[in-house]
Amino acid sequence: MSTKGTRIPDWLTVPFAGITPAPSQEKGQDLFPTGNWRSIRPVYRDKLPPCNNACGTNEKIQGYLDLVKRGKYLDAYALIKEDMPFPSVTGRVCYHPCEQACNRGQYDEAISIRAVERFLGDLGQSLQRDVVKAGPSNGKKVAVVGSGPAGHSAAYQLARLGYKVTILEKSPKAGGLNRGGIPDWVLPQDVLDREIERLVELGITIKTNTEVGKDVSWDDLKKNYDACVLAVGLTEPNSVRAEGENKAGVIYGLPFLRDIGMGTSKVKLGARVAVIGGGNTAIDCAREALRQGAVEVTMITVESNPQEMPCVPEDLHDMREEGVELLHGRAMTAVLGNGKVEALQLYPARFSGAINASPITINREAPAEKFAVDNVIIAVGQHASLAWLPAEFKNERGTIKIDRFGRLGDTNFFAAGDIVQLGSGQPLMVVNAVGDGKRVAFNLDKVLRGEALEPRKIAVDVIMDLNRMNMTYFPHFPRVKQKLLPAMSRRKTQEEVILGFTEEQATEEAYRCFSCGTCNACDNCYLVCPEPCIARPARSNGLYKILVDYCKGCRVCIEECPTGCLEGVPELDFDTGVVRMDTAFAISPGLHGRQAQELVNLSNRPAKQI
Amino acid sequence: MSYTELTVWTRGIIMDKEGRDIVNSIAASARLEGKYAQAMENYVDNPDRTNAPTRKYCRISTSILENELTYENEHPNIVVLVEGTMVKGWDYMRGMPPGGTLVINTHYTPEYMIRFVPGSERLAQLVCVDAAKLADHKWLYYRLGQLGLDRLSTEGAAERSKAIAPDIAAPLIAAVIKSTGIVKRETIEPMIANKKAFEMALDELHILPLKPVAA
Repeated sequence: MSTKGTRIPDWLTVPFAGITPAPSQEKGQDLFPTGNWRSIRPVYRDKLPPCNNACGTNEKIQGYLDLVKRGKYLDAYALIKEDMPFPSVTGRVCYHPCEQACNRGQYDEAISIRAVERFLGDLGQSLQRDVVKAGPSNGKKVAVVGSGPAGHSAAYQLARLGYKVTILEKSPKAGGLNRGGIPDWVLPQDVLDREIERLVELGITIKTNTEVGKDVSWDDLKKNYDACVLAVGLTEPNSVRAEGENKAGVIYGLPFLRDIGMGTSKVKLGARVAVIGGGNTAIDCAREALRQGAVEVTMITVESNPQEMPCVPEDLHDMREEGVELLHGRAMTAVLGNGKVEALQLYPARFSGAINASPITINREAPAEKFAVDNVIIAVGQHASLAWLPAEFKNERGTIKIDRFGRLGDTNFFAAGDIVQLGSGQPLMVVNAVGDGKRVAFNLDKVLRGEALEPRKIAVDVIMDLNRMNMTYFPHFPRVKQKLLPAMSRRKTQEEVILGFTEEQATEEAYRCFSCGTCNACDNCYLVCPEPCIARPARSNGLYKILVDYCKGCRVCIEECPTGCLEGVPELDFDTGVVRMDTAFAISPGLHGRQAQELVNLSNRPAKQI
Repeated sequence: MSYTELTVWTRGIIMDKEGRDIVNSIAASARLEGKYAQAMENYVDNPDRTNAPTRKYCRISTSILENELTYENEHPNIVVLVEGTMVKGWDYMRGMPPGGTLVINTHYTPEYMIRFVPGSERLAQLVCVDAAKLADHKWLYYRLGQLGLDRLSTEGAAERSKAIAPDIAAPLIAAVIKSTGIVKRETIEPMIANKKAFEMALDELHILPLKPVAA
């Protein structure tokens, strides 16, 4: 539109088409700040991905997968190390609750998180120096009793906080359950040794062959250290209370694995071995039995089918592939034989309640079965050995009595790991013990610094659900499978069964991550915004900015956000972002009113001026 | 002589008819009561744009209207905001003489909303009415955030139904007449389609009385 030859009153010099700067130009948005058209404001708010929530130690899984995608492996490793001292171990042994929770599992197949963690853990192992350093010393001494997952984790976090940590371990080698409960073909000893070296590099002293109650008393701990973390674990195997359980050839699961792990095993198995129990330890025992020379291994469970067994389905599958037989719905009532086990007496049985921990009902009216074996391995759980602990700190479950912060009364003693988690409803897993050790370390630090302890808060509504994400952006893509040794060759060797990811495989798998509820800098909002309302100085989470003076609240970015990290918040919840305008199209106050006055005055003007 | 200006701020397309129903019904009632009245819509605001602010005007006087050619209310005594978020965006208080009334459709309280009102010292009362809830306007009430995308709005409502205030306008009209007495309830009530919401709103208003300070 040409304005040539037209008299424009001052109060009408609004920008005209052609000379109006576009909104994308500098100051262009100041002319028509349409932000007040908006009733809802887009806000970047990262939510908790379900994997992070399900992880016992709340690893920032989405964060490291995103870094792996971008090839920043060292950053990814450093991110895991914030919560997890030994990713190379959990990358092999973890029962990956994260993968069960993974939103991708509802879409096609869950991300192989554990395999990527192992890839990063192995990368960390190959480093000359670890990325983690001990914190500046605060001069305080802390004892950690036990060097299993919980003790390892607590010691690691305390060293990072600047404490002088001493680990007391009763076995000749450090590692606890990581060494004594997990077979070599799952976790090679040298991997664990390297992780323990890393602890020593942090300045942690490890005293092996030092047992609390024998070499060190409760009072010694109290006197010599500012605080103490008890992570003694469950060391004593449960019995099945069958007749003749003390006969030669009856072995308990945990000591069986522990002795092999520590290199002190003297067990020689016969050709036919039965394993009593249906859990993960029982599976490890059955598979280890094959490697120790057994020919026929049968697993006897009270559960009536494989689906009910309290174990990880992959391990069960691998075990059956190796040739272990299953016998369901039976309970062992007696070990028969003359001084040595020759057969087992079995009766049909079932759990009387809905869960595996409920009492077993044995049908003694049915005819007894005789099951011929040379050895029987009993793996039906374990309990604690706490004779050294003052009675006031014991509870009715036979574990340590703690408050919700892991603290024993008002003392500077804390407890973590299986020793407190048994019977709490939590599955006993390495990763849960690690998380427990980490939280207790932070609580201990607060107590020693004289701060108040606060319970951990997780807002349930911010755990990202698949329905809140935009699936249009995610094509179906199969999970990258980890390679396994062939079943027939692996069943006789101690070689690692599951093989690690290559760099390509790890990256490919990381690319499958949805980044549930978390901005992964995909640039989608930046591209779909119909107005230039989203500013982005660099492509990175936390650097996208909504220009609220101009955003009309059309919600396109919110609807199109693949991960659901953008959400619409009612504008009235904000005190800020007030842009007062006269109307959407008149930028100076009272413009229309003055125009109306001009109309009234028209009749008084000479015609030439109009 | 008494002269009153009423300005309704509403949003283009999605709530356009609500605003129109308010000014039309109040002006019609005033004429029935023997007053001079005028109701008109603003064309400058481009009301055919979704969510754009759109004004509707009404003037009532006991004597002849002298400014009937002026297409903007310069000194509104009563301002109605049909959508609550508008409270932040515009200077709807501009030109209001001391002793004015502001009516907002919101589920927030007047005590919360007053922080957003510019020049609130001129108000004699701030009235909040949860019109969307009272009119049982489900899509609007529960999906307010999706207004920008929603096409279930009152767009084309006049073609679908000739009823006056079948929806959220009814509680807002109730709020205006109860708090200001600009027209009588008896004259306006027969015109309102959504009588249930109208009556409920008469009981469920939140009125915050204020002491206006002369500018």
